[in-house]
Amino acid sequence: MDALSLIELNSMVRHVIERSMGREYWVEAELSECRENRGHCFMELIQKDEHSNTPIARASAKCWQSTWGMLGPYFERTTGQPLHAGLKVRLQVYPQFHEAYGFSWIITDIDPTFTLGDMARRRQEIIRQLKEEGVFDLQKELSLPLFCQNIAVITSQTAAGYGDFVNQLADSPYDFHTQLFPAIMQGEQVEQSVISALNQIYELYTLNSQFDCVVIIRGGGATADMSGFDALDLAENVAQFPLPIITGIGHDRDECILDMVSHVRVKTPTAAAQFLISHLDITSQRIDTCAEHINTFFSLLKTREEARIDKLSSYLPILISHLFEREQHRLEMLEQRAKALDPAILFKRGYSMTLHNGHLLRNAADVKPGTELETRLEQGTIISIAK
Amino acid sequence: MTYEESLKQLEELVRQMEAGNYSIDQLAEKLTQAQQLISQCKEKLYKTDSEIKKILEKS
Repeated sequence: MDALSLIELNSMVRHVIERSMGREYWVEAELSECRENRGHCFMELIQKDEHSNTPIARASAKCWQSTWGMLGPYFERTTGQPLHAGLKVRLQVYPQFHEAYGFSWIITDIDPTFTLGDMARRRQEIIRQLKEEGVFDLQKELSLPLFCQNIAVITSQTAAGYGDFVNQLADSPYDFHTQLFPAIMQGEQVEQSVISALNQIYELYTLNSQFDCVVIIRGGGATADMSGFDALDLAENVAQFPLPIITGIGHDRDECILDMVSHVRVKTPTAAAQFLISHLDITSQRIDTCAEHINTFFSLLKTREEARIDKLSSYLPILISHLFEREQHRLEMLEQRAKALDPAILFKRGYSMTLHNGHLLRNAADVKPGTELETRLEQGTIISIAK
Repeated sequence: MTYEESLKQLEELVRQMEAGNYSIDQLAEKLTQAQQLISQCKEKLYKTDSEIKKILEKS
């Protein structure tokens, strides 16, 4: 039997395909590879088994420069991210079999809303899983220390956002200490890069608790690729991190999952700095309030005690003069009583008193006959002998 | 004692003071204590302390 040359055989395949599948099809598949070269886009499409996740279909696909020049930016504008591996896509394709290059689907259109829907579904799935694991709200249960001044910062070192953040803190009156943990903040490596930064912070934190909180920030446009911040692994790491995490990853669309599980979510790096400053403002106010209360208390106390002393001191002379008067009265009374007892008054009325050996005699029976008695009168003394 | 504890202690001290739970004899001591806590907390919060340290390091 005559054998065909490879090009003859391949030509047959090409003809069969061109004849029997000479139209365009919409296909839904996952991208396992995606790269641009000289303005063309080369992809690997894959379909995985729903349960085992093993590939059950695979094919190459190409989008020529003339089409890709429009489709690429359109896709990125609509979904907020460039086409990349891992995304689910709906593509309009026609088959092409080239004798030298083999089989490939040629892409003529793309439906970004399908990818958006799939991303939203995946986000919902991740949220459901985080809630089921009981970690979704863990960060919300943490509280920022009153003196939240030692900040671990995860961001890209070159990002303008980092400079804004650090400058804003430095311009405040407070004493902040920041330490940078550089990470890739865009594209497919976001997840692993941020997780490894979190791990470094955790190690240092367990050694000496030198951080009060973590700030994850990113400056830049809203159209940049945010899909890395919607990943389950990263969300789990953030949700279960022992320190409060503040996110300021600047984007316009709804919250990403990272924002949802973090302790506090703000829009921009500057807003993150402002948040930390306001937090210390509150602490500072508490100290000032204490100082004010103490001042008020002591000035009230002083006024009250002064009034007490004043009252006492003005009352004192009155009290003393009362006391004097009372004593004087007592003295007068005593004097009168004493006067009433003065024997001179009795003598004047004609009474006399009789003494024996200087002692007053009250009973005649006490006097023996022959005793010498002394009788005192108002005027003079009589010495007599008792019979 | 952490600064957080210092601030809470300060607030408690003020509360007790205002409730009239200290005698005049105790007040002087409590006031000194409160002022120490205030300056300790403020020093931690503001740049002064660390700025002085930085200046000393430079010279």
